[in-house]
Amino acid sequence: MRAVLCKEFGSPTSPERVAIQDIPAPTQKPDEVIVSVRVAGISFPDVLLLQNKYQYTPTLPFTPGSELSGIIKSVGADVKGYKPGDAVIGKTKGSCAEEVAVPASKLWHLPAGVDFNSAAGFSGNYATSYYALKQRANLQPGETLLVLGASGGVGLAAVDLGRMMGARVIACASTAAKLDACKQAGADELINYETEDIHTRAMQITGGKGVDVVYDPVGDRFAEPSVRSMGWNGRYLIVGFAAGAIPKISFMLPFEKRCALMGVWSGGYTQRFPRESYDNITELIAMLAAGKIRPHISGVYALENIGEAFRALANREVIGKVVITTGK
Amino acid sequence: MRAVMCKQYGPPESLEVVEMSSPQPGKGEVLISVRAVSVSQANVLVAAGNHPNKRELPFITGGEAAGIVKAVGEGVSAFKPGDAVLGPGKDGGCAEEILASADKLRLLPPGLDLTLAAGAGSYATSLHALRDVAKIKPGETVLVLGAAGGVGLSAVELAKQMGARVVACASSQEKLDLCKRYGADELINYESEDLRGAIKKAGGDKGFDVVIDPVGGKYADPAVRGMGWGGRYVIIGFAGGFVPDLPLNLPLLKGCAVMGMSLHRLAMHDPAAAKALRADVIKLLADGKIKPHVCATYPLERTADAMNDLRLRKVLGKVIVTAGST
Repeated sequence: MRAVLCKEFGSPTSPERVAIQDIPAPTQKPDEVIVSVRVAGISFPDVLLLQNKYQYTPTLPFTPGSELSGIIKSVGADVKGYKPGDAVIGKTKGSCAEEVAVPASKLWHLPAGVDFNSAAGFSGNYATSYYALKQRANLQPGETLLVLGASGGVGLAAVDLGRMMGARVIACASTAAKLDACKQAGADELINYETEDIHTRAMQITGGKGVDVVYDPVGDRFAEPSVRSMGWNGRYLIVGFAAGAIPKISFMLPFEKRCALMGVWSGGYTQRFPRESYDNITELIAMLAAGKIRPHISGVYALENIGEAFRALANREVIGKVVITTGK
Repeated sequence: MRAVMCKQYGPPESLEVVEMSSPQPGKGEVLISVRAVSVSQANVLVAAGNHPNKRELPFITGGEAAGIVKAVGEGVSAFKPGDAVLGPGKDGGCAEEILASADKLRLLPPGLDLTLAAGAGSYATSLHALRDVAKIKPGETVLVLGAAGGVGLSAVELAKQMGARVVACASSQEKLDLCKRYGADELINYESEDLRGAIKKAGGDKGFDVVIDPVGGKYADPAVRGMGWGGRYVIIGFAGGFVPDLPLNLPLLKGCAVMGMSLHRLAMHDPAAAKALRADVIKLLADGKIKPHVCATYPLERTADAMNDLRLRKVLGKVIVTAGST
């Protein structure tokens, strides 16, 4: 079977770093199923993994990708509730291959009416943003939610989920085209942070009250003006630092604003709370089937063109999500 | 009547004891004959011009006062002359007589020691931090920085009553002994031990669920690094001298939250909640559930000495300024 392999760390914008190779098909353990992959999802952390800049160092060679949709080919002896031929969503490392072994604990049935592209491209981003907004921020209807990097994968998921949860969503992005995508996803207010001051606009939009929740996957110079825009009992969700630098925030700001700077590490949550984490994705899949959330897939690439997809992610050109099709 | 005025920002020595005419209570106001006043590190910083809540000169220094109602203004029905009361004055508390807004004043049960009542204010801060901000649960592990200070010691006492395992940090053996008497399970001397290592060890594999930090400065970084998954770090003040910065990757990897609070802001934003909090503390005091530690009392004319004790970090628990006859 064919799989994408990264053999050495390096720039994600040189596609020759990732090669398509024929490797032996995986074999399942008793608690696993083998999925014939239709579509694999990749995201910004994959770009960091290719450069060895993520929170852990993968063993070379490795296959990127962390989620998939497909059809079950075979089922391990201990697996209950799944059978060959079932359409599924799976979350596992190394999803950019024609066949992948997935533990049953990371598997969900694909509801009728949901296409393979949407199914493959949403569980990672939406799981992070849902955990952030639900478990961490406890976002309430009527609250204001300011989303930085709002047109990126997790950002656009936060806009979509914020809208669905009844919040007033302020989307911040760097171009008119990106902001337009945020508006399509349901953002109520838009801030172009290349041309406008985040703090001034956020205070204007909230009538001087400040925002209740900030969702920040970018960090760097965007963090401080956003912390300054927090309202009473505000929750600032620290999701990542895609813009580059890790910001340092003075203790004086949370002290004076009475807000909370909250870490959001979805992977750490899944390790510690596998049950709650699984239930979150089950809820998200139900919302997807009911049309309550609308993942935005902006690019569909064939397996052999995955280098192009990584280049688009690394250059911050992707709006929402890109997915990889195996051609099966 | 005499009052201790700050006419220019500076060290405690620059405070002046001045003779003033007795104020008259206006509409909704109460005139209090002061018996005991709380002074804190925040008062020292405000008088030095180094506090974020800057005050316009001149002003009377000092915090909350306990005393006896001398007269009430128009429209005040909740208080009458002779009542024992506790509350913030319209200006600071360090004076023989002060005016207070009736809606911010609490009636004290008869017979309550007014010096202890004035010393109980820090309990409002730590009660709010532990119960309302950190939302502490029984069995959790709490690290208290500056644990022998007013806020710190009250946090040790309350956290223990709330069923937490309490680790107290302070700068001398004498201070740590006091923390132990107030219920601390483990003690860390942060002057003589490697703080980062000691905090890691005391937090165990899980790390700390809650940190109560009234000091900031160089102690904040090792304390943040000692947090566990889902932990809550409550910033209460900066008695340690400087305001630290937080690199945002630390709370991210620990899945923890760094939050801040001040009663000053609470009173502005949600006066009803602030009032209820003060009432809770008076009830704890009247029921004998808490016992503020007053390490020294100074008469009004020696307010600067009380402040210097604070500045030189000599105060264990609270220092109180007295006026009239307590």
